[in-house]
Amino acid sequence: MSLTTYSWLVLAFPLTGSIILGLGHKVLKGKTAGAIGTSAILLSFLSGLGALRSLQSRPEESRQVVSSLWTYAQTGGLDVQFSILVDPLSLLMVLVVAGVSTLIHLYSVAYIASDEGYVRFFAYLNFFVFSMLMLVLAGNLILLAVGWGLVGAASYLLISFWYRRNTATKAGIKAFVINVVGDVGIVLGAIVIIQGTGAVDLLTVFAKAPQVWHTNDPQIVVGCLLLLVGAFAKSAQVPFHTWLPDAMEGPTPVSALIHAATMVTAGVYLIARMHPLFQIATTASDVGAIGGAVTLLVAATIGLVVTDLKRVIAYSTMSQIGYMIMAVSAGVYGAGLFHLMTHAFFKALLFMAAGSVIGAMAGEQNLDRMGGFRKVMPITYGCFIVGGLALSGIPPFSGFFSKDDILLGLGTQGGWYWALYVAGYVGALMTAIYTFRMIFRAFHGEPCEEAQSLADGRLFHAAEHRNPGDGTLEDTGVGYPGAKHHIAERSPSMSISMGVLAILATIGGVIQLPKVTNTLDHFLHPTFSDSPKFGLAIDYNLMAIGMVIGAVLGLLGIYIAWMIWVKKPGTSARIQARFALPYKLFSNKWYFDEIIAFLIVRPFAAAGRFFQRTVERVVVDGAITAGPISIARASSAAVRSWQSGMLRAYAAAVIVGAALLVLYLMLQA
Amino acid sequence: MELTLLLLLPLATGLLGAVLGNRLVKPLAVLGGLGTLGLAVGLALNYDTALGGSQFTVDKLWVKPLGIHWALTIDGLNLALVVLTAFVYASVVVACALREQENPRLFYFHLGLGASAVLGAFLAQDLILFVLFFDLMLVPFYFLVGQWGTGDRVGATTKMVIYTLAGSLLMLAAAVATGALTASHHGQHVDFLISNLQRLPLGKGTQQWVFLCFAAAFLVKMPAVPLHGWLKDAYKSMPLPVLALFSGVLSKVAAYGFLKLALPLFPDAAASFQDLLLGIGVLSIVYGSALAFTTNDARLVVGYSSIAQLGFILIGIFSLTSDGAQGALLQMVNHGIVTVALVLIVGVLASRAKGSEDLGSMGGIAMGAPVLAVVFLIAAFANLAMPASANFVGEFLILKGVFDSVTVVAVIACLGVAMAAVYMLRAYIRAMHGPDTNGVEQRDLSLREALPILPAIALILALALSPQPLLKRSEGPATAAVIPAAKAANIDPIQTATAAQGKR
Repeated sequence: MSLTTYSWLVLAFPLTGSIILGLGHKVLKGKTAGAIGTSAILLSFLSGLGALRSLQSRPEESRQVVSSLWTYAQTGGLDVQFSILVDPLSLLMVLVVAGVSTLIHLYSVAYIASDEGYVRFFAYLNFFVFSMLMLVLAGNLILLAVGWGLVGAASYLLISFWYRRNTATKAGIKAFVINVVGDVGIVLGAIVIIQGTGAVDLLTVFAKAPQVWHTNDPQIVVGCLLLLVGAFAKSAQVPFHTWLPDAMEGPTPVSALIHAATMVTAGVYLIARMHPLFQIATTASDVGAIGGAVTLLVAATIGLVVTDLKRVIAYSTMSQIGYMIMAVSAGVYGAGLFHLMTHAFFKALLFMAAGSVIGAMAGEQNLDRMGGFRKVMPITYGCFIVGGLALSGIPPFSGFFSKDDILLGLGTQGGWYWALYVAGYVGALMTAIYTFRMIFRAFHGEPCEEAQSLADGRLFHAAEHRNPGDGTLEDTGVGYPGAKHHIAERSPSMSISMGVLAILATIGGVIQLPKVTNTLDHFLHPTFSDSPKFGLAIDYNLMAIGMVIGAVLGLLGIYIAWMIWVKKPGTSARIQARFALPYKLFSNKWYFDEIIAFLIVRPFAAAGRFFQRTVERVVVDGAITAGPISIARASSAAVRSWQSGMLRAYAAAVIVGAALLVLYLMLQA
Repeated sequence: MELTLLLLLPLATGLLGAVLGNRLVKPLAVLGGLGTLGLAVGLALNYDTALGGSQFTVDKLWVKPLGIHWALTIDGLNLALVVLTAFVYASVVVACALREQENPRLFYFHLGLGASAVLGAFLAQDLILFVLFFDLMLVPFYFLVGQWGTGDRVGATTKMVIYTLAGSLLMLAAAVATGALTASHHGQHVDFLISNLQRLPLGKGTQQWVFLCFAAAFLVKMPAVPLHGWLKDAYKSMPLPVLALFSGVLSKVAAYGFLKLALPLFPDAAASFQDLLLGIGVLSIVYGSALAFTTNDARLVVGYSSIAQLGFILIGIFSLTSDGAQGALLQMVNHGIVTVALVLIVGVLASRAKGSEDLGSMGGIAMGAPVLAVVFLIAAFANLAMPASANFVGEFLILKGVFDSVTVVAVIACLGVAMAAVYMLRAYIRAMHGPDTNGVEQRDLSLREALPILPAIALILALALSPQPLLKRSEGPATAAVIPAAKAANIDPIQTATAAQGKR
């Protein structure tokens, strides 16, 4: 099969899967839906491998292939084909997305088994994978916006999956609306780019860009800043990030797949995809890099104090994506994408392991209530340790190499990038601390009631389930959180997928060992061959220093966490009291939700109420409508009869006219 | 002749049913609806796209002393709208036939009259003929609200009459003036053929007041803010299937009127009032959206959303660009289809919530009604112009046209894009999700309910896969419609990269 056939199959399998599951939602019993959903994604992944083999057999200069199925929208100066662009970058994304998705589908087969919405879950999940693959394969700006919007929709559906919970529907609409703001950014950015180049096809746009715009041309700077709005909204970067922690309302596999490994990295992909434009719009690139750096620090500080297990990982995701955004904005594409890949492995792993813990806790996510799971959940614990070490950047785990690669790329460029370099290492220290704070609190210390119960050989069940978000009684009729929750230790499909990811998180770094393999850089070269920064000569001294600093900071962070939460319990309370002000700031998430509510949500709601209650009544119904009517009515009875008489006469005249018209036509014919 | 048949078929079947009695009225009406749809689709398939231009033309001098022609035609501008009207009419007739109706003979007669009038307005190529049909199409709806409506029928009818009468009379006067003044200005016989009038433009001063009269009638009909005072009561009291026809196609006649008449006949005036109409459009978008996310009435969410969506259509047209007009035309069709689905879904939701259309009395039904949940979701996503829907393509083209023409308007209009997400999802969540605290009836869509809704959903999905068939046919005429006004306003109607480069 040809490269393009393979690539279209990559898209076709998940779509077909989702349609089959949707249509068959009533007839599919047992775990059939899980099997169908998982196989669809596995087939998509295998097609991706086929495409990879086919692509690598081509000469390097012809490794960017566009394939179009039909004309989507063609009018005026716009020529939109239903087309995909297959090149190393899009294919790397395809493999990461489809690969990790396959494992998460496998995990979900068991994890979501007791849920009444089992089929619906896999239908949504397949639809999400299709959307995400559409996004990364899109061959032109319009289809990119289509994929961009569709993943937002899929994400909304999955965040609100347990839609009987008001917290879930609120989180869903919040995520969706912020993502629509991002969509608007993409749309306006696309319009600006089309205005400049007259093209929608990505490769044509890239070819024309250098001829149309000079460096920092205001038009392309504006265009790229608009694209950044989209990237920041989707990738949960400050100040568009507030939806991501709330998105943890979704089932844990969703958090692993969409809100860690794939969708939230779309912004990174976008900047890398659009690199020919961002390289011209250097101001926009700098804004992106600074935004990433700010996010990585802000998110890490919140991660230090947050007490919800999944939200710790969510803030960590924000922070890690900050690294990637910083990298690709600064032109360090290879490293940014390398980190995207390793992060997908270890972050999905951490979420899956967290799901296992939450299973053991019967839905409870509060770290304050957890403890002592180490002995009773050895597989989960092991996965947490592997994922945690990779996240903290401890050699030889994958995260160590990718994070170091980013910071090396920044340091090599010198200048003000040193500030980003330092921010990266400060973030690295905090990362190690919050990661192991989470691990030590959940797995070490005195066993909690749930861990005790597990030690006695039974999974804990609560007598009544309350929504951890707002304390309302849960409707268990929909199957969640039901009596049959799952943990990795008792579900092979969960432990297998976690095991595979644990291996990848451990050894994933080998594809880009500095000085040794560099496989990823070589592979990506056809996409980035036009980039002057790609494959910049490496300063080996800096590399060695960076690696040492990275490893030391990671270990130091773990040591600090151990001292505070294991060796001397109570230290954290003392620190909180000592640094009350920063603690307040961090634990209130830097007040972003409050600021946005104050600046945007409340004014809009108030304006809506004002329009509805006051303007409609006083101006529209009163002055404009009732005024003339009441004048007419009040003047005299004569007027009144004239008015109603006229209405009748008017209506009658028209009907008579119509009748005459028919008659006339009949006579004419 | 085909067009005269198409135009008269709904009316004729309605009339026949009214005459032949209660037993035959339903079958005849359904036959009329499906026949109209079949005829319209047949015409669309036989329309030679490669040739383009006006086809199936009928042109007879009708009232000789006044120079009024019975002139009908199909061209790229009205083709899709004619099919849309036939489609909506067919869906509505089917929906009506599946429920009990008081006094069905008169009911279906009025419905058919309404559909014929709308078709006539879309097909008319004579200015007076257009005005006649435009006024005629309101008459059956006065009666439909007055007799079959609920709630404050009298108030609703009064408001509708006052508003639309004012607009209609202005338009009638303006139309007569256009013909008379053109004749005297150029020393010819009075003639109302639109194509003839277009060749002989009026002086700029005259154009301006005539344009404003037409604009007033169209803006009331759409409706645009602040001329929407009649909408709330009329929407509230109209029977739901009637509302689907009303909201689905009548507002489009007004928007179409701008493209068909106001821009080509009065280009200088359109250019000088461009900012005013863009302002009204943007106001409608923001204000309509704000009303839509503060109302608890499911029906009014659809109504206020229409104000916002027609605001988008208005700014698309008055961007005076080819893309904007194309987007506006596409969006008229999309909005018509989506509205039919949404209005009928409101009916289904209300039937599950003890007849209440208040969002506060709904909720938690998705679990028991998964098909309804999916159908509503598709319609809701299309209405908020979710990327991948044809509505997105329409909105994109509108925004692009406006961005190229008057950038700041496009930026403000983007607020409407985000607000649409808020009001549509808010309505969806409150109707479908959340805990089942109101004890709604957990019953999925029945076949009877699904029959008129599913075709609309299928059409939404089909257009999502390829909006191109619509765009292809309307490209030429849409561009031609804006060119005179664009020239007068000094705007390049077909924005190209080179043009944009040249300007800088």
